[in-house]
Amino acid sequence: MKRYDSVLLRVFLWGIPAIAILAFLAGYGDWKSADPAGWQHLLNKGFGIILALWMGLALFLSLRLILSEPLRDAVLARLTFIRERDEREAILTGRATKATFLMSLAVLILLFGLSVIQVSVYRVPPDRAIHGKTGMVTLGVGFNLFDQAERKIPGAVVPRRDIFSYAGFPFSSSALILILIVGQILFYNISVRRLIR
Amino acid sequence: MSRCAMQLKIVSRLHILRAEKRMTQEQLAREIGVTRATVAAIERGDYNPSLELAFRLARFFGRNIEAIFSVEEGER
Repeated sequence: MKRYDSVLLRVFLWGIPAIAILAFLAGYGDWKSADPAGWQHLLNKGFGIILALWMGLALFLSLRLILSEPLRDAVLARLTFIRERDEREAILTGRATKATFLMSLAVLILLFGLSVIQVSVYRVPPDRAIHGKTGMVTLGVGFNLFDQAERKIPGAVVPRRDIFSYAGFPFSSSALILILIVGQILFYNISVRRLIR
Repeated sequence: MSRCAMQLKIVSRLHILRAEKRMTQEQLAREIGVTRATVAAIERGDYNPSLELAFRLARFFGRNIEAIFSVEEGER
């Protein structure tokens, strides 16, 4: 790991509690109605600048993690508890990584499947019955390249009483990414423990 | 994979040689540059060391590799 990466990483990590303290102080009192030359305004402005710098640093370090292998090895290996102190641990790491990769792939395939299917079970008024039947099931498959496209439940124009409706994965993309990150770390560590046994 | 593939079981005499030298697993591990868990795994037969590590062990004990590791044949 390069020297400046190490320094920036420390600044970022020490910045986390500092940001929390500053956020608490800045949120204390009604700064909007306070004197523009007063300490609350100054504190808020200062906090804004510090937060912007810290966020910029976070973004820069995220990019550095992708580009710099030594930084990745030093930071992510520690975060995920990867230990390669000798050849046996290197082999175990390789096997656990393979198991984690394949498991992640399986989970991603399942999530993709869950994100594109649309299922709706509902009842329509008797005057809308088809062949005397008011209970309906509609199925659909939808794939959107961008999130802005609205998800449409099939047959939503018909007045109806929904019994069950599913139109894509309920989690937000941020939550999903976080679940995948935590899931990968957990599964890797479970795999290593299983291999060591 | 061949159906007739033979599985070679590596039998280790490491624990005997270590006992002769009156060393702990930790001490041996430090001498040959691995972790104590690796020495324990080799002794239990759970892990077959690389050729490099086998040579390192042989050099440390002043013996041939065959004096530390032998092979038992069995069909898979």
